[in-house]
Amino acid sequence: MSEHPIKVVVGKPGLDGHDRGAKVVARALVEAGMEVVYLGLRQTPESIVAAALEEDADVIGLSVLSGAHMTHFTRVRALMEENGLGDRLLTGGGIIPTKDQETLSKLGVGKLFGPGDDPNAIVGYIHEWMATHPRGDV
Amino acid sequence: MSTDSVGIHTDSVPGVGPQPALSAELWQAFLAGDRRVCARLISKVENDPRSVPAIRERFAGRLGQAIRIGVTGPPGVGKSTLCSVIALGLAERQHRVGVIAVDPSSPFTGGAFMGDRVRMERFVGDDRIFMRSLASREGRGGLSPATPYVADVIEAFGMDRILIETVGVGQAELDVLNCADLVVLVLQPSTGDAIQSLKAGIMEAADLIVVNKSDLPGADTVLQSLRFVYSLGGAKARKAPPLLATSAQQTEGLDELVDTIERLATSLVESGRHRELRQARLVDEIRRGIQQELWERFLSQTEAESAIQKVAADLAESGGMAYDFVRAACSQVELRVREKRD
Ligand SMILES: Nc1nc2c(ncn2[C@@H]2O[C@H](COP(=O)(O)OP(=O)(O)OP(=O)(O)O)[C@@H](O)[C@H]2O)c(=O)[nH]1
Ligand SMILES: [Mg+2]
Repeated sequence: MSEHPIKVVVGKPGLDGHDRGAKVVARALVEAGMEVVYLGLRQTPESIVAAALEEDADVIGLSVLSGAHMTHFTRVRALMEENGLGDRLLTGGGIIPTKDQETLSKLGVGKLFGPGDDPNAIVGYIHEWMATHPRGDV
Repeated sequence: MSTDSVGIHTDSVPGVGPQPALSAELWQAFLAGDRRVCARLISKVENDPRSVPAIRERFAGRLGQAIRIGVTGPPGVGKSTLCSVIALGLAERQHRVGVIAVDPSSPFTGGAFMGDRVRMERFVGDDRIFMRSLASREGRGGLSPATPYVADVIEAFGMDRILIETVGVGQAELDVLNCADLVVLVLQPSTGDAIQSLKAGIMEAADLIVVNKSDLPGADTVLQSLRFVYSLGGAKARKAPPLLATSAQQTEGLDELVDTIERLATSLVESGRHRELRQARLVDEIRRGIQQELWERFLSQTEAESAIQKVAADLAESGGMAYDFVRAACSQVELRVREKRD
């Protein structure tokens, strides 16, 4: 396929709070030339993966600050596999202990970022991941 | 034979560049309603213009019935919110609905923030509706250049009503007039004074005008100014389109909105106007196709590009004009076309 802008679906699963963090990251991705489909608050893993499927997103980015990261990332990853999106990147941010990150990583979840990280760190990571993961066949 | 991520063969064949063909399995999956394949075909036409002819050729016999409804208007007036209402309303009326929402790409970074889904979450996972966000990319008139082809993919997938939400930058944009069968112009109370400044053409082209956010003060004033503008008639000599007030927030006027759109869609078909529009678009397509094809044939001649450069350099020097060269170049292409036919 010819070069195209990287497409990212950004959403915030769960019922908690505000989406400031997700918006900051979304902005950074746009600034870096990506096409960001912003889903907003109160998403479910199902709604996020359904949107990513219709959008043919290269990347799903989740913002999980509620502490429920294990549940959400695990579920989204499982739904991605179920829906033929296993070759796409799942990344995101939250307050996620190293131990949890390692567990998630074994399930196929990509690198996760904390509230203290520079939003451009995730930009760099996505670029790097895309460069090393050409899309598989249907 | 090489195959890319959607299983489309990309080997180049002699002639006019690569001509990808859709694999049989993929086509079957598409026909069987596999949303993932539909999504990937959309990416294909969006990202690789050269793949468009081969993909659209497969759609023969599957296009031309759907009604394409453009939803346009200034930023933030409630286009996405109303698209969500309309899509669900049409689905309730036994339609299968596609929604395409276009958002502006930054001319500097190429990035785009697409937030329309925030207002459309009610139909995620609803089989009757397929929604896709598009960045406007090189499009400058409120749509992405690939929009009509994306609509084709969605129609071929089985949707018979397709909503196209334009970019909400500046005033209502005009690209939508070329690819929609019906145009809905959405305004809001604070648009009052801005009616005069709406891009010329959109008021004439609108088949329906909706003043949304009627829960806010000033909606009546906007309706009055609209009636006034249309009562002036003048050279435009067009019948005033239906004017509706809606409030998505207070759920007012929404059933009427969907009913009006359905009524307009029905009369579009019954009056033969839908067919006329399609025919006019085919005329355009044929013209553009011929231009494109002839241009490519010309360029495929060895050293065509360098000949252009050389002639331009000579003319710049001599002060001469380019017509002789253009005529000669065209007759050369013509000759080659004849040779091929004989
Ligand atoms: N008060 C009021 N607010 C509304 C109504 N309809 C939509 N809104 C709000 O208006 C804002 C913009 O709505 P959208 O549907 O995103 O508007 P849009 O025209 O699609 O915006 P862009 O795509 O950014 O141009 C949102 O905050 C909506 O909640 C309404 O009937 N009344
Ligand atoms: Mg919108």
